[in-house]
Amino acid sequence: MPNAPAPPALTPEIVAALASLEGYPALDAETAARIAVGATNAVRAVALSATASSFAAEPADFLAELERLAEQR
Amino acid sequence: MLDPRHATLLEAADAISSGAISSLELTRACLERAHRLNAELNCFVSIDDALAMREAAAADAARAAGQPLGLLHGVPVAFKDMFYSPERATSGGSRIRAGFRGGVEATVVSRIRAAGAVNLGSLGMTEFAFGPTGHNAFYGACRNPWNTAYIAGGSSSGAGSALAARIVFGALGSDTGGSIRGPASVNGVLGLKPTYGRVSRAGAMPLSWSIDHIGPLARTAGDLARLLKVIAGHDPNDASSSRHAVPDYEAALTTPASGLRIGVPSNFFFEGVDAGLKDVLDAALARFAAGGARLVEVRVPAPEHLTELGRAIMYSEAAALHGHWLRTRPDDYSPQIRARAATGLAIPAASYVEALQLRAPMLRAFVTEVFGACDVLATPTLAVPVPTLASTDVGGSPAMWQTIAALVRCVAPFNFLGLPALSLPAGFTAGGLPAGLQLIARPFAEARLITAAAAYQAATDWHLRLPPHA
Repeated sequence: MPNAPAPPALTPEIVAALASLEGYPALDAETAARIAVGATNAVRAVALSATASSFAAEPADFLAELERLAEQR
Repeated sequence: MLDPRHATLLEAADAISSGAISSLELTRACLERAHRLNAELNCFVSIDDALAMREAAAADAARAAGQPLGLLHGVPVAFKDMFYSPERATSGGSRIRAGFRGGVEATVVSRIRAAGAVNLGSLGMTEFAFGPTGHNAFYGACRNPWNTAYIAGGSSSGAGSALAARIVFGALGSDTGGSIRGPASVNGVLGLKPTYGRVSRAGAMPLSWSIDHIGPLARTAGDLARLLKVIAGHDPNDASSSRHAVPDYEAALTTPASGLRIGVPSNFFFEGVDAGLKDVLDAALARFAAGGARLVEVRVPAPEHLTELGRAIMYSEAAALHGHWLRTRPDDYSPQIRARAATGLAIPAASYVEALQLRAPMLRAFVTEVFGACDVLATPTLAVPVPTLASTDVGGSPAMWQTIAALVRCVAPFNFLGLPALSLPAGFTAGGLPAGLQLIARPFAEARLITAAAAYQAATDWHLRLPPHA
């Protein structure tokens, strides 16, 4: 049975290019590799969780939502 | 003479109010303990004898003059080294901010001081509040008073260690991914991450403004309730603080816990938990049941991505906060913190905003499904027994992410969701290190957590046991 293709991931080279674009000093290969792993995990989690439209979702409403749910019984 | 090793914060406050002991006597005793034990535990960045004794003398003078006394009058406490004060330097556990003096005083510090407490000094922490182990490349690792070869947790390392060592009666920490609850668990004390917005963050060093929380650590539910009562409530200096009514948390101490529905997750949180640790937690749950609580199985909706969703937010915001220093002073970070602070540079802005947008609907689903079935959800605080300092001294190596993930697996989801979560000392594993049970409630239901914790502590004596280094 053939192996499933690896999921897409950020590479240290992409991280190094982004760091350069954003004005960071050159990253060593090990730091770029760590960042690639951490950022890939986070971005992938967002992609897997965003299963419905968030067209009307306003992040600033989060505190109000907490307060509303506190009252809900 | 009241013995700091055995007295609670409430007992200390009562003893000072009644004149059974002076604040100067108690502060002197605690300072002596701080100097002696700090040599073993490295739980303080600085011990401020002169300032503490001045505050204690003022507390005694106020009492002698018949002035109204605050809820913490004359009681020695300490704060994580990240709350700004014009009087004290605040390093945030970093080299970059060594010697920094905030022009303002953090609101929580002002409230604790207004209640009359005496501040012994600044408690050790992970660099920039970024890390669950308690290692610090610049100030040295903080140590666990139950066994100094083991971690004190992070990032509120010194708060957990100093409390367990009976140096202070209460402490304040911050929690962005478990940084109050982790140290509370491994040191055998209580730690509460309140609901997002319950406690002001004005004047506290930020790590990630969307998921940063400030909260108390204490040895008993009563002490925790007193500290929360003092610091909770709206603050005009913090736009993210809530106007939701603040109940009397001390009244929750005597609310009956029988009939409380305690939810035990059937998915995620207990999966892969160390067998010995699980035995301890199961025994704690059985104790709740013996006290009249009802254990109910609960399925938690979509738990597997909550931690990483929080990280998408935390790393994006941390990279923005640290951008200037990452560009101009990268070598002034330790390798691990530099890599973690810079991780946000590779997270697309759209992913960050989507993670923020997901919070409310995921919170709604969680509260509806979980707290429709139970009053309090119970999980491990840590899914592993307390690890050694040596085994977690991974720096910026490839083991970094795995080590961190193992320690924050059960706690970080509740920073993303903003729910109140408390770590309760629940016993000891075979190695003699403490184990914590995490209790979570619906938004702004901290009183319910306090009720549960008080009932459990009334039936157990884990919180009364003294560590070897105390």
